Amino acid sequence: MDSPSPAIEAEHLSKFYGQVLGLNDLSLTVTKGEVRGLLGQNGSGKSTLLKSLLGLIHPSSGWVRVLGVDVQKAPMEVRRFVGYVPESPRLYEFLTATEYLDFIADVRGLGYEEKKERITRLIESLDLEGKQGETITGYSQGMKQKVAIMGAILHHPKILLMDEPLNGLDPKSARVVKELIHSLARDGVTTVFSTHVLEIAEAICDRLTILQNGRVLAEGTAQELREKAGLSNSGLEDVFLKLTGTKGVEDIVEALRR
Amino acid sequence: MRIRVLLEFAKILMLSRLRSTRQSFLSNSITNRPILIALIGSIMFAAGVGFGTATVSFLRGAGASPADIGQIVETIFGGIPIFLIGFFFTMGLLWELNASSESESADSINWLPISPSEYVFASTLSTSYTYSPLVLVTVGYSLPIGILTGNTSAFLVLVVASVVAAFIGSVTVEILRSLLARASTSFNKVGGRSMIILRILGVILILLFTQTLFSGFLIIRIINSVSSANATTVLVPLLWPTLSITSILRSNLLSSAYFLLLSLGFLAVLAFAALAFRSKFWVATPQSFHFSNTGTISRVSRLRRIGVSAISLALVRREIRSATRRKEVVRLMAIPIILPVMISFPAIFSPAPTTSAASGLISPLFLAVPLLFGVGLGTLFLGMTSIGQEGKRLWNLSSLPIEAGTVVTSKVLFTSLISTIGLVLGLGLTVFFFQVSVMDALTFIAVGITLVLAEASLGVAIGSRYPDFSDGPRPRFVTIIGSIIGAFLGVIVMLLMSLPLVFLLLGRIFLLLPFSLQLSFFLGGMVGLIFARISYSLSIRSVNGILRELPN
Repeated sequence: MDSPSPAIEAEHLSKFYGQVLGLNDLSLTVTKGEVRGLLGQNGSGKSTLLKSLLGLIHPSSGWVRVLGVDVQKAPMEVRRFVGYVPESPRLYEFLTATEYLDFIADVRGLGYEEKKERITRLIESLDLEGKQGETITGYSQGMKQKVAIMGAILHHPKILLMDEPLNGLDPKSARVVKELIHSLARDGVTTVFSTHVLEIAEAICDRLTILQNGRVLAEGTAQELREKAGLSNSGLEDVFLKLTGTKGVEDIVEALRR
Repeated sequence: MRIRVLLEFAKILMLSRLRSTRQSFLSNSITNRPILIALIGSIMFAAGVGFGTATVSFLRGAGASPADIGQIVETIFGGIPIFLIGFFFTMGLLWELNASSESESADSINWLPISPSEYVFASTLSTSYTYSPLVLVTVGYSLPIGILTGNTSAFLVLVVASVVAAFIGSVTVEILRSLLARASTSFNKVGGRSMIILRILGVILILLFTQTLFSGFLIIRIINSVSSANATTVLVPLLWPTLSITSILRSNLLSSAYFLLLSLGFLAVLAFAALAFRSKFWVATPQSFHFSNTGTISRVSRLRRIGVSAISLALVRREIRSATRRKEVVRLMAIPIILPVMISFPAIFSPAPTTSAASGLISPLFLAVPLLFGVGLGTLFLGMTSIGQEGKRLWNLSSLPIEAGTVVTSKVLFTSLISTIGLVLGLGLTVFFFQVSVMDALTFIAVGITLVLAEASLGVAIGSRYPDFSDGPRPRFVTIIGSIIGAFLGVIVMLLMSLPLVFLLLGRIFLLLPFSLQLSFFLGGMVGLIFARISYSLSIRSVNGILRELPN
């Protein structure tokens, strides 16, 4: 049987920030229409990997292909069909949400009618009605996150890269985004996102990749990871802690309590 | 009020002023050891003593009479408090204008248990200490003058008056800061655009005020007014420190003590007002402008018909909105407009020009050259800051399919657009004061536009080569090294553009060759365009690098 065609291929990626190694000979393949979750402790390389996939940083070695396009050689082409939400997105706070999305739509080449229809619908769906004429400065973290997500999906991307996309979202919006990821996957959109919320990762991801020190520590479905950790009936949190070798949580809590 | 908290907080505020950029060459020295400010102050004090001694020697060597020396001492001593009040006020206010709203909203002051009084006094102390070397250099300068001219007691009064003046300037900023926060809230209720216009006007007025203050003209006028015992000056509290000095210089000890006490009282009243305003008006959350309930989606622009791309239009539209709405960017917009006007003041008010201009060889247009110099510098400055302004928002551009060339074009176009406003204002002044011909006016505009393009492109090239993306409380947008190199190259470009004029003039004077101002400006313009093209290419290379590697 033919294996599904890859949407994202990364081979032997390494990234040095001065002396610090952000990615360490990392390889990853994500198939079309797949929802892939990236898990890992702070500083494990999740954000660096996502940036590398879009060509926002230049890897020290290795290569990335997105839908067959080499990201280093043709970053502009890749950016045309990718949507990206960074961790803690800094938007143009001096613009209103509508103006921000209007800017994105113009750069993405959407026509007037199309962008009007898309912006109106997105603002309605993510509960920003009545606030869209106000500059982003006054928005809460969650509202900014919503605007960033809208900007990422405005042009019907084929690939969606999201760094902690549910940060700061209210329960309803978080649910909308989760459903949206599912729905986009059914339409063939490939999504790679990082999260610290393991329940969400388990609920919406087809496969999970656990990163540690810039390397892939483990990869597979939630069930495969459980088996790998030898914890078939445990929650994903226990699996994650075991695989990443995290010990002495109780001692840390005790130290903090004191 | 907890003194320890106050001092610690003053130190934090001062460090945040100084540590505005990671690339700052100050970061490894002064910013890690604030005590070094005092050391710098001591060095400047010693330098001031040297200059003061040299001034007295010069006056005596020039055979100045005791009456003349007395008049000069009065002007210097009396001018120092006025100068210090203006300086501390302006520097504090510029800091406030530069401060990023986002940084302010995340400022720990908003959620730490620091009382309004602790904040006001710590902030005042931090402003005063940060710029204290200026007080020390002026005091150092006055010391030998006071001793050698037999005015030691006046010098001692000057020391107290200078410190009071510095604090008056600093604490006034605190009052304005709270009032501005209050005004922002009120104007925001009225309508966002009104606030934007007021903010721009405010910045222009402040910069004009600064320029006027540092021109020296105003200070001399005030001192003359005080010297001639104008009764109304007694009613102006800002002049009380000066009056305490002029009184003692006229051996009126009682009057001097009276004005010194009044000055201290005035400072106390200001401090009380600052405290009251802070408690009542401070708004922690940055203001958001409310434009409409639905927001506006842009229609297809007519400029598209002449080949301007939708991406370029979107970028320029965004630049204009940034320029009018971002507090830290508004001041930058004012500079290319104000600088040429201020630089051309001496030429305009010089008594000589109109008569010599009529001589035939020298066109009145020559008198507008300083104005072009101002336009060039303003444009360069604006261009240099254009890339760094993206700050942590750079990912928005990096993640979109925007070519480096499009980014550079939009930055150069926008910078040129703003600078052209200054150019046209300058042209208006030139036409009004010198009655230049239409041909000359057109020549002026043509060479001005090429200069603007050259300096804008150079500015963007430097700004993209040495960007500063750090979003500190006081964003700088270009590294210090970059701004030094940029300023140097900017002046070189202007000098090279003026070479044809110089050569043609020399040819006219020494070889009696025919001279054409239009031709020299045309050739200068060509030189400018060549530099614009080179800088444009260099900018694209740098911006490409920036878009491919998001700063960590």
